[in-house]
Amino acid sequence: MSDNGLPLSGVAISVRSGRGFLNLRLNPHHGQAVETAERVLGQPIPQAANTFTNGGHEVYWLGPDEWLIANVAERAAALGSELAEALGGFHAAVNDVSGGNVELLVRGAEARAVLAKGCALDLHPREFAPGQCAQTGLGRAAVLLAAVDPSSYAIVVRRSFSDYVHRWLENAARPHRARFSAP
Amino acid sequence: MNTAPRRWRTSTVLLIECPWCGPRAETEFSYGGEAGIERPADPYALSDAEWADYLFFRRNPRGAHRELWNHAQGCRRWFGVERDTVSYRIEKSYRLSGAGSARPAAAHIEASEEKRR
Amino acid sequence: MAAAQPNRLPQGGRIDRSRPLAFSFDGRACEGFAGDTLASALMAGGVSLVGRSFKLRRPRGIVGSGAEEPNAIMQIGEGAAAQPNLQATQVELREGLKARSTRGWPGVRFDIGAVNNLFGRLLGAGFYYKTFMWPRSWWKHYEHAIRKSAGFGQAPDGPDPDRYEHMNAHCDVLVAGGGPAGLMAALTAAKSGARVILADEQNEFGGSLLASDASIDGVPAAEWIASVVAELRGLEDCVLLPSSTVFGYHDHNFLTIAERCPVRPGGQAGAGVRERLWRVRARQVVLAQGSLERPLAFCNNDRPGVMLASAVSTYVERYAVLPGRRAVVFTNNDSAYRTAISLSGAGAEVAAIVDSRPGGAGELGVRAQALGIPVLAGHVVSEVAGRSRVTGAGIARWSGDSWSNVRSTIRMDCDLVAVSGGWSPVVHLHSQAGGRLAWDESRLCFLPAEARQAHVSAGAGNGKWSLGECLAEGLHAGAAAVSKLGLKPAGVMTPHTAAGAGENPIEPLWRVPAARDADRCSRQFIDFQNDTTVADIRLAAREGYRNVEHVKRYTALGFGTDQGKLGNINGMAVLADILGKPIPEVGTTTFRPAYTPVSFGVCAGESVGDLYDPVRTTAIHEWHEAAGAPMETVGQWRRPWYFPRDGEDLHAAVARECLAVRKSLGVMDASTLGKIDACGPDVVEFLERIYTHNVGRMKVGRCAYGVIPGEDGMLMDDGVMARTGEQRFYLTTTTGGAAAVLDWMEKWLQTEWPELEVYLTSLTDHYSTIAAAGPNSRSLLERLGCDIPLDKESFPFMTTKPAVLAGIPVTLFRVSFSGELAFEINIDSNNALAMWRKIMEAGAEFDVTPYGTEAMHVLRAEKGFIIAGQDTDGSVTPVDLGMNWLLSREKDFLGKRSLQRPDCLREDRKQWVGLLSQDGRTVLLEGTQLIGDTGKPAAMCGHVTSSYFSACLGHPIALALVAGGRQRKGETIHAALSGRDPLPVRIVSPVFYDPRGMRQHV
Repeated sequence: MSDNGLPLSGVAISVRSGRGFLNLRLNPHHGQAVETAERVLGQPIPQAANTFTNGGHEVYWLGPDEWLIANVAERAAALGSELAEALGGFHAAVNDVSGGNVELLVRGAEARAVLAKGCALDLHPREFAPGQCAQTGLGRAAVLLAAVDPSSYAIVVRRSFSDYVHRWLENAARPHRARFSAP
Repeated sequence: MNTAPRRWRTSTVLLIECPWCGPRAETEFSYGGEAGIERPADPYALSDAEWADYLFFRRNPRGAHRELWNHAQGCRRWFGVERDTVSYRIEKSYRLSGAGSARPAAAHIEASEEKRR
Repeated sequence: MAAAQPNRLPQGGRIDRSRPLAFSFDGRACEGFAGDTLASALMAGGVSLVGRSFKLRRPRGIVGSGAEEPNAIMQIGEGAAAQPNLQATQVELREGLKARSTRGWPGVRFDIGAVNNLFGRLLGAGFYYKTFMWPRSWWKHYEHAIRKSAGFGQAPDGPDPDRYEHMNAHCDVLVAGGGPAGLMAALTAAKSGARVILADEQNEFGGSLLASDASIDGVPAAEWIASVVAELRGLEDCVLLPSSTVFGYHDHNFLTIAERCPVRPGGQAGAGVRERLWRVRARQVVLAQGSLERPLAFCNNDRPGVMLASAVSTYVERYAVLPGRRAVVFTNNDSAYRTAISLSGAGAEVAAIVDSRPGGAGELGVRAQALGIPVLAGHVVSEVAGRSRVTGAGIARWSGDSWSNVRSTIRMDCDLVAVSGGWSPVVHLHSQAGGRLAWDESRLCFLPAEARQAHVSAGAGNGKWSLGECLAEGLHAGAAAVSKLGLKPAGVMTPHTAAGAGENPIEPLWRVPAARDADRCSRQFIDFQNDTTVADIRLAAREGYRNVEHVKRYTALGFGTDQGKLGNINGMAVLADILGKPIPEVGTTTFRPAYTPVSFGVCAGESVGDLYDPVRTTAIHEWHEAAGAPMETVGQWRRPWYFPRDGEDLHAAVARECLAVRKSLGVMDASTLGKIDACGPDVVEFLERIYTHNVGRMKVGRCAYGVIPGEDGMLMDDGVMARTGEQRFYLTTTTGGAAAVLDWMEKWLQTEWPELEVYLTSLTDHYSTIAAAGPNSRSLLERLGCDIPLDKESFPFMTTKPAVLAGIPVTLFRVSFSGELAFEINIDSNNALAMWRKIMEAGAEFDVTPYGTEAMHVLRAEKGFIIAGQDTDGSVTPVDLGMNWLLSREKDFLGKRSLQRPDCLREDRKQWVGLLSQDGRTVLLEGTQLIGDTGKPAAMCGHVTSSYFSACLGHPIALALVAGGRQRKGETIHAALSGRDPLPVRIVSPVFYDPRGMRQHV
């Protein structure tokens, strides 16, 4: 359903195809290593927890020494090699994880209410504003949830869980009709 | 055939402060037992009884309890929590300095966490 | 209309007379109005008998109007959508609703079990404990009969067609209860800018105001409610939840609310959400759940027609229903005088107000008398007459001594007795949250005392009985809550109300003296739902029970679906009286969630059917499904179990698949294996500590089988690891152990050895793994087109190389879990399905055979390879498994020290061996116990861990853990079979096939 982008009762769920992903581990206190990575990426690596930067790629903070770099699939392998090579002299790990992740988009006025059914995070725009991301639970799966704009969220989920999460979202969105009091 | 114990998620009762990600629901975490159990530097210097004490015996106190938690659904960091086993109040959570799972991290990191709470 | 609803008042109430609703009760057609509850509609229709009591089968009627109702327990709906055990007072009436009384078979009017009533004196407290526990072996017969006749609701007979969901919510202030105090608290907090959730269990906000003639700020209460609700609706961050019961107050200010969603007009079952569970994390909580009226304990006080005075008022004022034509009001406090005034105003005759207090009431007494209502001060109702309906009340002078014998001197005909024994604040949530309770001697109730979490109580729930006090306290609580959050309280004015009527204080009256000796108290009911009487409590005390928690369990006081909302305080007070202790010393029982019954459906929410638990699938899953493979659940994964051809069963398919691997070529989807990238300057040192073998000796490009023991020395997981660089390894784990192994490694890295520079990254989902096994596997790869030489010398066993296969980059591993020549192809999951299809195409000439988990198990068992978690159970060391060759002598590793513990050195430890059935054909059940000899009783010496029929060998094989097994090879022991003689089995090596391992080295 809804790859056509049409809102489904106030919510649209779609798979963002053609995405590539890199997993980056390095010491955030190692200035030179960080600078090198930022130079290759052409954008800053977020140091603040639960945020992402948006330039040529999205760079999501996953942990104090771990990031997920999302970009177009065709560029992932080359960028990965370039990063790995540039970081060769530092203690760092670059892994192409394009095959391991699926990105979903949940958009619409009721997107937040649909996500709140299965996510214990406070998604109020004051608390979870665009530019923020969090690894958390959705339904019974672990996901990376990112606030793209006030009514759209990106969800990056491990490939093997993506079917479940997709079905979970469709089910959660189903009863959404005109009226609903969002939390 | 399933080799892993099934992990049932409890209701999201406790609110646990991950020292990196902030307060999150209990379901995002896994429990790692009592903190402060340091691995003996030379296990072979220990008698069987002493080794068994390290391996199997825990304090299980009534009241303040320092324990390890892992932000399994989040940043995958292990950290320390001081929890009251009677009231379930969490007095503080702290980053680990490393060597010895007991020791909290350096003071400045702790201070920033205090501020958050 | 008049015929259908004989007790409906011609005007008034908050019902919508333009919307009549048809429903049925026990198959009888009835009628009510929109705005009715099932209880008010039944009462309007003149139904006074709604059930039979649990133990004594006494006829029972509606007592209350809300969550306290103990008798009107209904089964709503039919078939799969049926909901058992709902209180009629909590069910909103809707068109077509079908209700059945759940208690009393075959019907409430005639109940076989009512004969129990004749033996009521024999069925005292602890009767079941004393009688039916002996003789013990008969209990199952007793239990069957008791359960059948007990008959609460019936479980629905199919999957619930309705939809339930969960909603996580966060707020600054949660207000539980939308009466005058709750409304004021919510209004104040919301106007101060706080995020507010206001929940009330009724379908309308207003609480007690809905049945009140009070005016607020100069307008009728109903108008005031409407304006406050409208104002709250207009505020962005305020969520209003009517028909929603806050039923749980858990740790860390986490509360649970069950919302009963309105059924849309014309809506069918399953069309919308029936119930929603709100999981709320609140920063502050205002508890304003009001108070519940207590009944009074007099003889036959359970007869239909004896009701709570406040409930009578509610039926009259809110639902325009007259519960009786001629009433006696019996009270020990002023509030019931309002009921008398209500009844009188509605046209009922009030025969008398019987007030135990010698001085009667304050101003309300004057008002009642002005209406011509007789007041009998200093009197009590000592008994009522009538069976299925009250027909009269016996009234006696009150001496002040509960245990004297008093004969009633006045008899009044009546069909309704409205009673008030005072009020108990609803302190349940306060208590659930860990808050303490304190007995208030002047109000005669428990009040919330110190809170342990961030909550405050307000209004009647805090012992404030007057409207003015409730409004003021609500406002104050709302302001206090936002202040604690650092917000400035908005300037909200306390609404103006008429000055409270001057009241006379309540006087204690826990038990009314009976006409004859004290044993008549067996008809003085304390807990209606469990038929607990004053006599039961006396008996419990006489038999030595002193603690209220024990008395509760002995007498079942407070155990029903109403959880003692009516009876608990009266029961404790009677106990205190008998024991001669003050009430606070007897204490109160602990309140636990849930405050009211909660359906299983709403607890489950969306996690039903195929969303019950995540299902993980591989990138090749759709091919397996299309091939018609039955799936096996492994952890959360679905894996193809076998691939049947032309109607084959499991055994035929597995035999064929195994032979294909041994003779030509099989392929399997091994993508579920856990995969971890480990890299860093200290990776060798780290892995040396985790694994038992000499990791450092592995050259780049080499693979090794490794096991991971816990610190206790017991095998935790196993898998192949490959050295992919000087400072880089690729680790694989079992399917189920992937997450646990990564957690285990990270725990050591982060807590114990942070000086080691190693990064671990999970690649489980990124890489898919296709295992190609069999003598033709090399030919397959060549046929696909591979850019590296694959011969034995260039690419030997237990090595790995990157390659391009069929034009797609892959990593090849020369490893084997079947003992045959085999390659594992690791490939980006995005390309896995395409590669699988190419393999099926290119492999056609070798009759390539996809095989599932079952064949994989047989193949590895033939080779004596373990499955961690099947052949091991957390009590098996690598030594027990015969893996001494894997344990490095030159280094320490986690678990090594433990292998020297005396218990790990015992020679009679269970060791892993092979077993052959002596009869050559019996496939043993996994888990079968093994015994040394067949004498009785036989000592067990082990158990079977894996067992299959080996098509390749032509006979069954089994693997087992046997005490001292390795030294006993050749010995014959016995397998204990169910219903058969023990079967002789011979202990052999666990490697059944190609023991020298030649086939994988070709």
